[in-house]
Amino acid sequence: MVDSKSRMTSFGKLTTETIKFRERSTLVIAGREFTRNRAATAGLVAMTILVVLSLLAPVISPYVPITINLREKLKPPSWEHYLGTDYFGRDVFSRLLYGGRISLTVGLLVVTFAVLIGVPIGLTAGFFGGRVDNILMRLMDAFLSFPPLLLAVAIVGILGPDIQNVMLALGIVRVPVFARIVRGSTLSVREEVYIKAAKSIGVHPLRIAISHILRNIVSSIVVQITVNFAAAIIAEASLSFLGLGSQPPDPSWGRDLNEARRYIQDAPWLLFGPVVTIMIAVLSVNYIGDGLRDALDPRSWRTWQNKKSTGLQEQIS
Amino acid sequence: MSNRLSYLIHRLAQIPFVLFVVTITIFGLIHVTPGDPIQIMLGMETSPDAVAKLRQQYHLDKSLPKQYFIWITNTLQGDLGESIRLNQPVTRMIADRFPISLKLAASALAFALLICIPTGIISAIRRNSSTDYFLSGIAIFGLSIPNFALALLLIFVFSIKLEWFPITGIGSMATKMEGSLWQTFGPYILPAIALGAQQTAILQRLLRSSMIDVLSQDYIRTARSKGVPGWAILAIHALKNALIPVVTMVAIQFGYLIGITITIEYIFAIPGMGLTLLNAVVNRDFPVIQGFTLAIAIFFIFANIIADILYTLLDPRIRY
Amino acid sequence: MSFKTSLLQVKKLKTHFHTQDGVVKAVDGISFDIYEGQTIGVVGESGSGKSVSALSIMGLIPSPPGKVSAEGIIFEGQDLLGLNDNQMRGVRGGKIAMIFQDPMTSLNPVLKVGWQIAESLRIHLGMSSSKARRRAIELLKMVGIPLAEDRVDDFPHQFSGGMRQRVMIAIALSCGPRLLIADEATTALDVTIQAQIIDLVNRLQRETGTAVMWITHDLGIIAGLCDRVNVMYAGRLVESASVEDIFYRPAHGYTLGLLRSIPRLDEDQKTRLVPIEGTPPDLIGISALCPFLPRCQVAKEVCATQIPEVRRVAEGHNTTCLVDLRSYWRE
Repeated sequence: MVDSKSRMTSFGKLTTETIKFRERSTLVIAGREFTRNRAATAGLVAMTILVVLSLLAPVISPYVPITINLREKLKPPSWEHYLGTDYFGRDVFSRLLYGGRISLTVGLLVVTFAVLIGVPIGLTAGFFGGRVDNILMRLMDAFLSFPPLLLAVAIVGILGPDIQNVMLALGIVRVPVFARIVRGSTLSVREEVYIKAAKSIGVHPLRIAISHILRNIVSSIVVQITVNFAAAIIAEASLSFLGLGSQPPDPSWGRDLNEARRYIQDAPWLLFGPVVTIMIAVLSVNYIGDGLRDALDPRSWRTWQNKKSTGLQEQIS
Repeated sequence: MSNRLSYLIHRLAQIPFVLFVVTITIFGLIHVTPGDPIQIMLGMETSPDAVAKLRQQYHLDKSLPKQYFIWITNTLQGDLGESIRLNQPVTRMIADRFPISLKLAASALAFALLICIPTGIISAIRRNSSTDYFLSGIAIFGLSIPNFALALLLIFVFSIKLEWFPITGIGSMATKMEGSLWQTFGPYILPAIALGAQQTAILQRLLRSSMIDVLSQDYIRTARSKGVPGWAILAIHALKNALIPVVTMVAIQFGYLIGITITIEYIFAIPGMGLTLLNAVVNRDFPVIQGFTLAIAIFFIFANIIADILYTLLDPRIRY
Repeated sequence: MSFKTSLLQVKKLKTHFHTQDGVVKAVDGISFDIYEGQTIGVVGESGSGKSVSALSIMGLIPSPPGKVSAEGIIFEGQDLLGLNDNQMRGVRGGKIAMIFQDPMTSLNPVLKVGWQIAESLRIHLGMSSSKARRRAIELLKMVGIPLAEDRVDDFPHQFSGGMRQRVMIAIALSCGPRLLIADEATTALDVTIQAQIIDLVNRLQRETGTAVMWITHDLGIIAGLCDRVNVMYAGRLVESASVEDIFYRPAHGYTLGLLRSIPRLDEDQKTRLVPIEGTPPDLIGISALCPFLPRCQVAKEVCATQIPEVRRVAEGHNTTCLVDLRSYWRE
């Protein structure tokens, strides 16, 4: 908010402008910035719809997704079956709804796992430094040395194809990313922390550490969460597609695509349902992530960009 | 000793530790599975004698650390064991299939570069115009669709509806180089596009932001003030600088792609590392799983190191 | 000294930027002349439009937001505004050359220094690569780079700031331009290096007979080098005079303010420096009245009502000031 003070000199008005900032919590400003971003809001809306639909699947799904009805097999979309039926006569639309529950749950659990394990590792490494840091980071680097899907395939292959193993595998693969970020922030904040701790005697350094560090890393973690969530959805779909994840007859977007592949010549409609839903899910998460990143970065806040003088003066003087 | 050399040595010195962790992980995973590995590998109907014999052959009667030691020493000598199902030495399988996956990854990257360089440049020059938004929109599309889904879509449109491409046929790619140009390269096209779409999006965004950054630099203004024509400013003055991070990213992606080929190889029946690994996983063929995972991981590590080296080589400022 | 041939005639040059917030009149109707071999200084604060006017002459103003218009920009008898892109590119670097403020970032880091010099030669003089390279070595020697034969294949980061500026000068003068524009060319350098660069340009100017336009905010450089001085403020040319007249007989409130704010050797130590209060005006929606009015120490009532026009103070001395400042003249 721009504050103009004018002073009358004998020859004219002398104006100085100062810019004041009203005290608003970062959260509120971030929220406003986010809503200004149309793509991000659209993503949020889409994601909410997907989540609601998945949660309500048992209620709104017209059919039970695993019921086999061979007389109805491979029927194209109609009023009875909005998206048609598959080889076993199962309703595609219902399968998509239930499949959403699995995909979204996997995404959520994977990210939670990665955060729950990765953040403490990063905190420990950054806080204690020295050899502990070295060993932990080498460990993380080693895990980062695997192409993600490969490690997941190997783990699932060895432990057995099961949706739970998939979640475990994907979670493990995502841990190093969070560990690194948290470690980086911890390291940079740690220096300040000891100084402050020395000054504010009596407050436990751990408490200072946690509150300060957490404030610093919130934005990068939040973005990573969205990125990894999207990646987990795609990875789960890939693994199920290959037969390593969801086992039949459980509905899963990836698994259904495998079937779509087999009957692609006869029943192409099987293809589009899962593809479109996966894309919507991933796109919305990506847009939300972009929006969050911009909303939490003070440099891109549009509330500050109404000053006429600065940017242009640099350009032209 | 120059900085660059010491940095290189530092990076190379980290490899043994990383490999140690990698091998321990793979080894550990297999040997902590509940159940007897041999039993799992062979299925339930084998006689106890055969099982005992195989146990001895695979050193499963010895202690775990000893098994690990044996495995590592064998590996260093180039012996990765034999596939249970195919009775072939794993090393030979790798030698046969790795090049195929490499060719697939290379064609995916070639496609990516072919698209991303012109579109990245155009996006940068006309930033925030409708062209830019349109191209960025397509890029996001490429980023958000799993590669196998894209492959299926492409197959549907081009192979089934339009009948431009055969659905599979890369099996013959490995051996023959004869035939018309279409026959040799044709089967590559769809898999390359499917595999490379995500990378195209990433590289295009990277090149765009890199170009925008470079074009706002003072030395571009100097070049303009010298009367250098527009195309030369873009192609020589700007690109040479803007491509540096892109080239590094390409090296990283090459390593990354090798680990991702599995779905595409599955769909197009390409006999590369991914498909073989998948079959091994389905058949619980542990030597193959072990050996292949190790090979791919090592390749990935080296690709990253090469990316680092490339970066220091390409930017003259980081020479001394 | 009288200079016979006119090299550049700028007539009512206007450069406006059309932005979301309004039209920025970065340069608002300036007119001046430069003669062959003359050294002219352009002095003003940041935002006064001195760099923008130079870039406008060179045709380097990006055309979506910016718009350059004038009654004429006549260079060697040709109106630069009437030239198409190709022709203008021939002028840039070939007939009019420019060197910029920050030598650390003005050279392309991934191209060899010799190559960057040779590029101009190849473009404007059509030299072959080998001939251009040899000439580049000669040019490096001319600007005082030792071991030129070895250095020609080096990259910019292997040179110090002062040496890089010398390379820039070599590039600028490589094709024998008739006008060299130095835009704050010494501002980013150490004082001793500044002196070296200034000497170099001076020497080369005498040898080649090139006219030089020094854009600076440093009155010391103006005093030491220039024959004539243009004073700019808020996009307008407020005073134009010989260097002597500017320092001893300033005719505009802004010039007077500038002179009062710098320390002078011939002054009593006890005299106070009088800084100019306030900040430069916003160039959007600026009024047609004298732009310096709010900050001027010698303004009169007439300044608040009458729109200033160019008026002649003496032979070769023009100003837009509405106030008679003769009482403030020294000597």
